[in-house]
Amino acid sequence: MTAVAAFAAWLGAAIIVLADGRRGLAAGIGLIAVGFTAIAWSDGVWVGGACLLVGGVVAVIALLRTGPQDWGLMPAGSTPRLILAVAGGILSLWVAASVTTGPGASLRFACLAVLGLMAGRLLQSKAAVPALAGAAGLAIALAGASELGPNDPGFAPYLIAALITAGALLLPAARSHGA
Amino acid sequence: MEPELAIALPAVGAVLTAILHPRPRAALLAGALLGAGGIAAVLLAAPGLASDLLGVSLSVSAMSRTLLLAAAASLALIVAFPPPRADRAMLLAWGLAGIAGMAAIAAAPSLDLVILLTLVIALLHAALGGQRPLAARLRAPALAVALLGAGLVFARFDGSTILARFAAIGLVAGLAAALGTLPYIHEFDPDELTATSPIAWIAFLGPILALAVITRARELIPAAGAIFAAMLIGLGLLNVLWGGLASWLTDKGMSAWHYSFMADWGLVLCAFGILVADGQAAAVLLLFGIVLSRLPLYLWSRQSLRERIQTDRPVNLLAAAMLAGAAPFAGFAARLFLLRGATQLYWPLALVIGVGLLLWLPPSLRLGRSLGTPRGRLALGVAIALSLSVAVGLYPQPLLSLAGL
Repeated sequence: MTAVAAFAAWLGAAIIVLADGRRGLAAGIGLIAVGFTAIAWSDGVWVGGACLLVGGVVAVIALLRTGPQDWGLMPAGSTPRLILAVAGGILSLWVAASVTTGPGASLRFACLAVLGLMAGRLLQSKAAVPALAGAAGLAIALAGASELGPNDPGFAPYLIAALITAGALLLPAARSHGA
Repeated sequence: MEPELAIALPAVGAVLTAILHPRPRAALLAGALLGAGGIAAVLLAAPGLASDLLGVSLSVSAMSRTLLLAAAASLALIVAFPPPRADRAMLLAWGLAGIAGMAAIAAAPSLDLVILLTLVIALLHAALGGQRPLAARLRAPALAVALLGAGLVFARFDGSTILARFAAIGLVAGLAAALGTLPYIHEFDPDELTATSPIAWIAFLGPILALAVITRARELIPAAGAIFAAMLIGLGLLNVLWGGLASWLTDKGMSAWHYSFMADWGLVLCAFGILVADGQAAAVLLLFGIVLSRLPLYLWSRQSLRERIQTDRPVNLLAAAMLAGAAPFAGFAARLFLLRGATQLYWPLALVIGVGLLLWLPPSLRLGRSLGTPRGRLALGVAIALSLSVAVGLYPQPLLSLAGL
């Protein structure tokens, strides 16, 4: 179950890396939110997971309600992005499954993959909406990463991440220029 | 309850000041009152004592408290003695928002929350507007968040000892990206408003963020503590060299100021890397200098830089001496502490830092000249900034005691 959720989170991050259109970015954010929510729920973090889901849903709605609706998946010249998405996933899987030890390999993989891919997306973005979607993805991954610590992080990281995810895509800059 | 008030009162003050902006006097009054309330809460907060009113354990350390007070004093100085043609109400609103964010970072109980709050600030700062596109304004701080997050994740992994070293690399790289020092210098547009420019990160938000990241990182990766410190020193020396030379040799006056902040941060990173009491004392004094000396002087010199005015009056020489860290200013005491700490740690390091300090002289003379001839309220502001620096330089112990050193 958690392995599928972690794969969904990576897939969402990969779609955000590969997409320039609002529908593609919405699908990416939605998958990341669902993936981390499922991992949180499987660890018994019900309120935190629900926060992430709500944040993700608001972000998806914000993306789908305004601006030109297109997928913008893999526009011309996307080969480096495709390589980043695949290589990032493989590298994260190797670190999470082979280099590190202990339980929670799915969460380790999801956190590393999403953080790495969102950093790549933020570095290459020239438009506002993909950059904001990248920041939203970062927030969700950081909230998930709080569960890796030895102490109970409480609900605060999830709540702040949900506010960032929802709020980033509601900023005026996210509404005007399409993607 | 004090940490909650230290965050909430400046935040409400920022919102009220922005709402009342069409009526500047009311805006300034509301912002000043709520800001003063927030600072009173910071002053009253017992260092290290946690408050749990909101279900999150918040506490402000003695060092964070000192830096928050320095930032508030800097804001008060800038708003009371504003640069020519500056909108005081907007300056106060942005400054109070920054203070609220800094208080939240200072009081956050874990590095997770520090990183998430940094992302919140990065988004709000990018959304403020400005001449650069949002994606460009968000790029460096968001990259910093990703790097800090990666460092945090690696620190929590079980496995080989090399993972702690990767964590140290991520945390140091993330910190550099957040501050805008080498190797992640923020894109700088000289014509951009200071509040929306990278100067807000390197000179205002940076000190508290650096303190929060460094103190928590030391607890997070004790196994790689020495490597973490060594990387801070290495990166610091690189920034001293690059910032000093670039500040001296660049054609643009505004960029010279930007590079001078980088050079100062180089010393701060060295000081944080020197894990003896003198190193920490140097870091506090250097951060005080960035926030309360260099930042106000930069703001006050922007108009002269635009008009390409350069003057060689005594006030310019005094400003240059303060920026160069000459006696009796605070920078001199900081440099003494730094050299003493470096000597205790490894004496050749003190030699390298000592040579690096010579790089401050030519750019500081240049920056001092760019202040022009301050008149009226501005002259009073410059006099207060110089006096504060002299007071701390002559007798730094009260400030260091406030910081718990």
